[in-house]
Amino acid sequence: MYALIETIHAAGLLTCFALLSTSRIGACIRWLSFQGILFGMVPLIIPDDGLTTRTLLMAGGSLVLKGIAFPWILLKLRARANYNREVQPFVSFVMSILCGILILSLSVWLTLQMKPALIHAPFVLLNSSIFLIFVGLFLMISRRNALMQVIGYLVLENGIFVFGVITVVGTPLLVELGVLLDAFVGVFVMGIAIYHITREFGSMDVDRLTELRG
Amino acid sequence: MPASGSLALPVCALILAPMLLGIVNRTKAVIAGRRGPPLLQPYWDIAKSLRRGAVYGEVTTWLFRLGPVVGLATLAAALLVTPFGGVRAPVSFSGDPIVLVGLLALGRFATVLAALDTGSSFEGMGASREVHFAALAEPALLLALATLARVTGSFALTPVYQAITIGAWADALPTFALVAMTLLVITLVENTRIPVDDPATHLELTMIHEVMVLDHSGPDLGLIQYAAALKVWIVGALLVGLVTPIRSGSVWLDGAAMLVGMVLLAGVIGMIESAMARYRLAQVPQFIVAAATLSAVAFIIRLI
Amino acid sequence: MYAGPSIVAVLVLALAGALSCLVLRRPHHVLMTIVGVSAVELLLALNIWTAALGPKGFVTAADQWFYIDAFSSFHIVVLTLVFVLSSAFASIYFTHEAGAFTVYVARRFGVLWLGAQSAMLLVLVSNNLGIMWVGMEATTLLTAFLISLHPSRLSLEAMWKYLIICSIGIAFAFMGTLLAAASIQSDGGVGADALFWTKLGSAEAHLDPTLMKFAFVFVLVGYGTKAGLAPIHSWLPDAHSQAPAPVSAMFSGFLLNTALYCIMRFVPPVQHALGQDFTSGLLIVFGTVSILVAAGFIVFQRDAKRLLAYHSVEHMGIITLGYALGPLGCFAALFHTLNHSVCKSLAFFAVGRLGQRYGSHEMISIAGALRADRLWGVSLLISLLALIGVAPFSIFMSEYQLLRAAIGAGAWVTLVLFLAASGVVFVSALRHMIDMAFGTASRHDRGGRDGKLAVPIVVAAAGLLVVLGVWMPLPLYDAIASAAAVLAGRP
Repeated sequence: MYALIETIHAAGLLTCFALLSTSRIGACIRWLSFQGILFGMVPLIIPDDGLTTRTLLMAGGSLVLKGIAFPWILLKLRARANYNREVQPFVSFVMSILCGILILSLSVWLTLQMKPALIHAPFVLLNSSIFLIFVGLFLMISRRNALMQVIGYLVLENGIFVFGVITVVGTPLLVELGVLLDAFVGVFVMGIAIYHITREFGSMDVDRLTELRG
Repeated sequence: MPASGSLALPVCALILAPMLLGIVNRTKAVIAGRRGPPLLQPYWDIAKSLRRGAVYGEVTTWLFRLGPVVGLATLAAALLVTPFGGVRAPVSFSGDPIVLVGLLALGRFATVLAALDTGSSFEGMGASREVHFAALAEPALLLALATLARVTGSFALTPVYQAITIGAWADALPTFALVAMTLLVITLVENTRIPVDDPATHLELTMIHEVMVLDHSGPDLGLIQYAAALKVWIVGALLVGLVTPIRSGSVWLDGAAMLVGMVLLAGVIGMIESAMARYRLAQVPQFIVAAATLSAVAFIIRLI
Repeated sequence: MYAGPSIVAVLVLALAGALSCLVLRRPHHVLMTIVGVSAVELLLALNIWTAALGPKGFVTAADQWFYIDAFSSFHIVVLTLVFVLSSAFASIYFTHEAGAFTVYVARRFGVLWLGAQSAMLLVLVSNNLGIMWVGMEATTLLTAFLISLHPSRLSLEAMWKYLIICSIGIAFAFMGTLLAAASIQSDGGVGADALFWTKLGSAEAHLDPTLMKFAFVFVLVGYGTKAGLAPIHSWLPDAHSQAPAPVSAMFSGFLLNTALYCIMRFVPPVQHALGQDFTSGLLIVFGTVSILVAAGFIVFQRDAKRLLAYHSVEHMGIITLGYALGPLGCFAALFHTLNHSVCKSLAFFAVGRLGQRYGSHEMISIAGALRADRLWGVSLLISLLALIGVAPFSIFMSEYQLLRAAIGAGAWVTLVLFLAASGVVFVSALRHMIDMAFGTASRHDRGGRDGKLAVPIVVAAAGLLVVLGVWMPLPLYDAIASAAAVLAGRP
């Protein structure tokens, strides 16, 4: 079981680095989908009491949403754009990867800080969740393309999802489903926003959104 | 088994290394549907170069002549600390991974100096590219070796590779897999293969390594070709030693497994060269940094 | 009476109102609906308020999933009050945009407006910190399109920034919520009510101090983003300046307070686990920084709505500061919440209408407002004077109480910084205001009649500001005092 967890951890880290270094948005969406499926499996392998309706619902919901629905919406949106590359991010790809390594070190340090208080959570997954959260944040602030920002948001969501699954065993299902629904509506709303932005600006580059200052 | 291996290992390496280049070229030829040169062609090429006389430009100094000699000498020295999978290296001491990387760097330094000594802008450009990529590849190699050292708990190459068994793989699967990927990329980078550089092209604008040695001729060129073969052997041995975790204790069995592995590696390089296109120069650093990232991730995973 | 059912009723009514807007055929009807629904909501809220202030001290419904004490009921009343005022103003404001305010825009507005109201109510009534978070996230998603009700480049830019920044903030808040839940976890004993703030805050909950520390930082940064606390306020001026005036009024008047409310719900549990100093210290830092940053930006503003937006940052800072300064400070903060909400709504109403008449929100354009438009010019004058803390108005009173709380708590550095920033704000905002109110009337003056509701709105809001400035009714005093007592950990 531990080898499986460790493999998920390593593969998850690699998807993040792939997202940090890929310019083609289509490829990024596929990586995101893979990542969603990867971490969607976490509820199935973590709890001690085996498979329950609850874990199945959570895993199923997140697999369907993050593995299929979100990528599908994002691919639809990408099809509307004239070009589908993150041409020149605010932070270059090589620098992004190096920042990724820094973030990874930071996340390991944070995990070491938190771990004593969270005895139930497996260390490596705690580390992946914190890493995902920061990588998501980094993607959101370092990319020009609106779709890449949404991708960053979803990476962050993945991190929080994993964190929730491994640390909090007792939250009511209602809350968790609410969270998933929120993520779904969030992507939907961002999708509509991007739709309007592409129509108005003829581009998904958010660095055109610079008229409001001060 | 003696504490350190005999000199038979480096001698075998000196004899067999050019064969690897032959296998790479043969694989490429077969995939392209040609018969290709004979497997021993690299030996003939080296011998032919060694027989010829050398021509030196008027502006070159002793640095230019020193380059190929130092390049070969450092690699020959590096062979002494390179274990061949389960087969021990003749020399082993704590910290020898750093010596290995340092020797590779020294050889490169000599080659770069020789290239700059010609005063040609082409060769200077090649030297600059070579150093640029090496600056990225070296930390990657060091990180990869450091990760292996971390997993196996010793910091000398021979014991590290002794400890890479099937059991160790089962324990540290993600880590070893990541390091192996890094080492594969480093094999391609260090030996200037596609997708980093194309050893077959002679277009100055796209070359990296070849453009540095354009001015060398005769025996110098022969030494350089031989050194290139040795480098494939050394870096390849690091990779193959990791991915063929057969440690029976018998030198013959381990050595045979490694040889099969080396042949396969040469075949894989040939297939990669046939299947991929060369990256644009701007993409190469990204490729190498990505490789370094893999071993950094592996290293950090092991810190936990 | 019927307080429990009233809780369900406020939620259901807002939702039903939102849905019914989908089928209305005329913009006029949509506006009527939101005014009507908001008015009924206010009555229900008052009913809940009286019940929550009764001997029991709380109202609950749905098996404790809804739980309202003095603190939340006070916020509910302020919320519904702001909504009644803003809805009534919306009916005036959008009548003057008849061309752009088609039936589709009207339906969208109605649905999102009442939807946002129900989401905010959900935040205020729910006992479960998870559901509270869901409500908060829902407000972000629902209000995003209110900003770009009329899609233009600027409003889309503001909307995108709002969406992205607040989504990040909300994600952090969720992380904090999870950490809070995990902190009980480590002592075992988990039930479906693990995330109830009534449970977390009670003495028997054993919370892990390390995790609660992390949790509070995440919550403060996360909800603080939504509350517009500096330095994470960057979405706020953009969103406030680009949204239609009623929406800006609702943002400033209540959306920000909802986020602060969420932060304050975490304070009692954290204080249980870590003592008073940790939360107070953080709140003081965030509050003071917000006041200082806002003061800096107010000096250089050209756009009237951005000016008001930075005033919101400043006042959110003041309220946060108040929460950190002990019981007296909490009282001042709550009183200030009410005053600021009413006053800021009035200010946005005035700027919104004047902006329509002048065709611009640039302060240079809005000159001589007093002469050009008597009603809204006077409103602008009153609300801006109140905002910067001029004496007869109630904001002066709450800021004065805050000063006393600061002196009582011995927070001298904070006190000095607060006074300095207030001085800067006072002078610069006064300058802006004099130009707008008394300058020579600009020629871009378009006529337009305000409906019957205009005068009552202004009289109600301005009257409240004046009356509360000179006389505090005893029931209100009791209500605020018991709300402040909740924060001090005494139910």
